[in-house]
Amino acid sequence: MRACHVALLVVLSAAAADAHHNFRAEFDINAPFTVTGTVTKVEWTNPHTWFYLDVKDEKGAVVNWAMEMGSPNALMRSGWKRTSLNAGDAVSVDGYQSWDRKNTGNARTVVLTKTGQRLFAASSAGK
Amino acid sequence: MAGRAFVTFALVLLGVSAHAQWLGYPDKNVRRNADGTPNLTAPAPRTADGKIDLSGVWEAANGEDAAGGVENSGAPRYLLNVMRDFKGGPPFQPWAAEMFKQRQANKLRDNPRIRCLPTGVPGLVAYTHPYKIVQTPNLVVMLYESQTLFRQIFLDGRAHPADPEPTWLGYSVGKWEGDTLVVETIGFNDKTWLDGFGHPHSDAMKVTERYRRRDAGHMDIEVVIDDPKAYTQQIRYVQPQALLPDGDLIEYICNENAKPVGQ
Repeated sequence: MRACHVALLVVLSAAAADAHHNFRAEFDINAPFTVTGTVTKVEWTNPHTWFYLDVKDEKGAVVNWAMEMGSPNALMRSGWKRTSLNAGDAVSVDGYQSWDRKNTGNARTVVLTKTGQRLFAASSAGK
Repeated sequence: MAGRAFVTFALVLLGVSAHAQWLGYPDKNVRRNADGTPNLTAPAPRTADGKIDLSGVWEAANGEDAAGGVENSGAPRYLLNVMRDFKGGPPFQPWAAEMFKQRQANKLRDNPRIRCLPTGVPGLVAYTHPYKIVQTPNLVVMLYESQTLFRQIFLDGRAHPADPEPTWLGYSVGKWEGDTLVVETIGFNDKTWLDGFGHPHSDAMKVTERYRRRDAGHMDIEVVIDDPKAYTQQIRYVQPQALLPDGDLIEYICNENAKPVGQ
């Protein structure tokens, strides 16, 4: 396995500890997805951090996906910084699709396709 | 069953609330082990007047249920369902049962939290955001990171107002009974939910909280809900709290970028 593919694994379950949203109303646990693409924008905002990425579909067309994560507050407590994820980063994301299937997901795991630190390691080792 | 699916989903997304000590600025009031780590089982600190000192940054403790289908696993025990200990189901008055059923049928979309409205009392006792207690002899201030809210607990001997203006978090007076801070709150509006499942309450609700700091790192909050307009019985539960040593609050402005999805 190429090292770059596993360079940075970010598990978002702890970061999603923010119970702001009603996930059942918004996301379908029976509709998991995994996509790979390039980050186009990051919104480091409450109540949820969002990022967007361009993903090529099977026909080669580029589709922009919206990904919801935990609040910046929860992400910071899990070792993230506002500079941890940036436009231009290549990432692989898995999570759950929204009920409306409009290329919107609740991200569970983000793998940055570049070498770097394991952001989540400090948090998982912290307790 | 839809309720079960929701619980499972909530568990996945709540995950393990393994909050790191993100700031790490050493709190001078925290006792240390020899290696400098906080001693969370040291005796609870006391103020100059001998009272237990509740001051610190706290958060509802994760549940201890085993993972794998048990409700609220990994999340605070009473985050989703404050009625979980009632064997025969919640002691609803008929209108409250109907309202609860409607909220379930509507997939909980009416949760005030989704529109960035406050989680109320007692919901904040089991919520997944930290809060800070600042204790003085005549006033205890609670600063909640969630929605950047505050509560004032008056310990100056005053009684509740005769006809308080209804508010989201109510009007609180407190007193010490030994080492327990007893807080009584009335004057609520009826807009908040008791929990994530959407159990309702009325504007006649009275909430009594008993804060017991067991040691440096652990506190229990006993919650007693008296709301005869909504429930035929008193509701009582104890939600443990965990100190976030060397932690602090972070500003939380929910309306900054709230985006309900697919609605």
